[in-house]
Amino acid sequence: MNPEFQRNVWLELTPRRLGLMVVLLALAFLAAALTGSAGNGLVLGPLSTTAEFLYYVIVVVWGTRNAALAVIGEVQARTWDMQRLSAIEPGAMTWGKLFGATIYNWFGGAICLVVLLGETALHKGVPTAFIALVYYAAVGVIAQAAAFLASLIAARRRQAHSRLDVFLYQLVGLAAGVIVYTVWSVADPAGSILLRKAATDFVIWWGWSFDTRPFLLASLAVFAAWTLTACYREMRLELKMQNGVLVWLGFLVFIGVYVAGFDAWLASDKTMAGWDAASLRLGLAATTFAVLTYVVVVLEPKDRVHFRWLGSQLASGRFAAAWNGLQAWMMAYVAVLLCGAVLLVLLLRHPPAEAGAPAFIAAGLGFLTRDVWIFVLMQTLPGRRRSDLAALGVLLALYVFAPAILNGLGLKSMLAFFYPQPDEPSLLGPAVAWAEGIAVAAAAIGRIGLAKPAPA
Amino acid sequence: MIEVSNLVYEYPAVRALDGVSFSVAPQTITALVGPNGAGKTTLLRCLAALEAPYSGYVLLDGLDTAAAPRQIHTRLGYLPDFYGLYDELSVRRALIYAARAHGIADEAAPAAAEKAAQRVGLSDRLETPAGELSRGLRQRLAIAQTIVHEPRVLLLDEPAAGLDPQARRDLSTMLLSLKDQGMTLVVSSHILAELEDYCSEMIIIEGGRIAGGKPVKVRDVERPRYILEVATARGDLKDFLSARAGLDLIEADEHHGLFTFTRNPGARAKLIRDLVAAGFEVSSFGEATKALEETYFARVGRS
Repeated sequence: MNPEFQRNVWLELTPRRLGLMVVLLALAFLAAALTGSAGNGLVLGPLSTTAEFLYYVIVVVWGTRNAALAVIGEVQARTWDMQRLSAIEPGAMTWGKLFGATIYNWFGGAICLVVLLGETALHKGVPTAFIALVYYAAVGVIAQAAAFLASLIAARRRQAHSRLDVFLYQLVGLAAGVIVYTVWSVADPAGSILLRKAATDFVIWWGWSFDTRPFLLASLAVFAAWTLTACYREMRLELKMQNGVLVWLGFLVFIGVYVAGFDAWLASDKTMAGWDAASLRLGLAATTFAVLTYVVVVLEPKDRVHFRWLGSQLASGRFAAAWNGLQAWMMAYVAVLLCGAVLLVLLLRHPPAEAGAPAFIAAGLGFLTRDVWIFVLMQTLPGRRRSDLAALGVLLALYVFAPAILNGLGLKSMLAFFYPQPDEPSLLGPAVAWAEGIAVAAAAIGRIGLAKPAPA
Repeated sequence: MIEVSNLVYEYPAVRALDGVSFSVAPQTITALVGPNGAGKTTLLRCLAALEAPYSGYVLLDGLDTAAAPRQIHTRLGYLPDFYGLYDELSVRRALIYAARAHGIADEAAPAAAEKAAQRVGLSDRLETPAGELSRGLRQRLAIAQTIVHEPRVLLLDEPAAGLDPQARRDLSTMLLSLKDQGMTLVVSSHILAELEDYCSEMIIIEGGRIAGGKPVKVRDVERPRYILEVATARGDLKDFLSARAGLDLIEADEHHGLFTFTRNPGARAKLIRDLVAAGFEVSSFGEATKALEETYFARVGRS
């Protein structure tokens, strides 16, 4: 058995804890059965509702906390270095921790699923129960893996880990769980409770029509696999192994292609009038890459030593080493620029109804450049311990406070200095955005180059 | 066994290690000493493949720490200065886990755990939860976890911190025993007198560099350091000692002489006889016990 998994089993699955879980769940189900009314073909009875609720509480809410603590708990207890010093391979360490730290949650969740799926199979048939099993497993795995991933990223950033921090990592997992739940609700005959939208029977993707449930199940499985892959790669880094760039590039290609396939959803949007399918797809991919760039540039450690090392590799002609040392945000950022540039060419060749679209996109790329380099620049300034928070504060000022003040003063024409203006067809917006972007990038690179470390 | 070449490690604002190079021979105990913040722990963490250097390399048993950290961990044990234990696990389970985590097969792990417990004197506590052990016993358990896979290289960061005198003596004995069994040890400590008991070489880190440029030999089992004292001052003591075959004089004045000489009892007896025959009033003659401390302050003071 995987030693890390076994250690967790020793700690988590003691006879007393197992007995306690069984007794408490049995009491909960008994209470539900005695107090509720029977279900019908469409809506399950109180036993299933209770089982589903308890599953979410035990596996998603509590499970994400245990997943977030799987590594952070070791860091806090000063046992993480001992684990990093072990010979356990990153794959084994990843699944040993992810499923080991949450094994007690899965034990309780399994009991809930037996009740829930048993009644589902009874009322709606075995195939429906099987689909539900895949969904519940996916939502649990994705939520826990997301919390685990967030904690691993935080461990690599070497932050202090207070209870609030752990709660934030748990929140990442909960957010992932809510997203999965919301997306899955699209295929629920009862519709989405959160979005208050009716169910959809078909999904149009790359022009083809797919049954919603199999499509979403496949999507969930693929995203669960990517989340686990991300955990594995973060674990490799934590264990001081080197990651190449190919997997991240592969993910960028995947997510670009996946998202671009939903162009049919935008075809009826008035602001996109006149856009051909290729432009819509590129726009979707570029937007996704931009969101990823922001997310990753916030999350990744922006280590000045690493930047200096990259510079030294480039300066000494060791391009392969520099290539393998590229950070995820750098590649996502280049992907946005590439997609955006191609999109601009397409829109200039076939102008859409909205004349300001090309200028808007060009300005957007410039402001993205400015924003990304603000994060890097903040890392090079004194008091860098909270540099990401400072960068977020600067962005808040640039996107919210300053524009609000200018609006109040009636200086709307000045807004082009802060963010892209959709109704500004001139080149002023892009010129200003790129000037700001280049200035911030130059300042950041200059400070990295100048900031030589002091002797010990 | 350990080869470090031009090792550079940087924190964002500080270069913690600046071109450190040295090598450590197999089956030796090397002391790693230096002022606080000199870079000792960073160096140990680089040796343990826990930190990737900015440039330079560390070869451990022929393996590069940057290229093969997990393979290195099967042949390395490292006890950090601050460490934790799994308080809810029994000593036996903690050791079985450590053995398995270091690549020992399922069926061999229990025996390895018992052997490690025996080495550190915890055989009678195998079923005790780690959380119920005293500080000294926790230290022993931590060391047992570090050696359970019989590493070829053992790195210890302040292993005697917080131990009582008896536990420190036991630790010294155990480290010498591990060396005799084939391990190569690097021990960082502030307590120079304690290192004296078991270290043969010393690396002094100061300001991220090795003071003096290379490790110094502080303890030669075959040729220890001796200190001689004469009751009446004699200006020719230095010349007398310098002229003796097989004696390497380190320093001398009219009353004292510090030198290395063979451990052979007959040769030592003859040296004393010759001294007395030459009219020196020998009042004391014995192994120098502060060699490491003297060397340390000489080096740190110079650099």
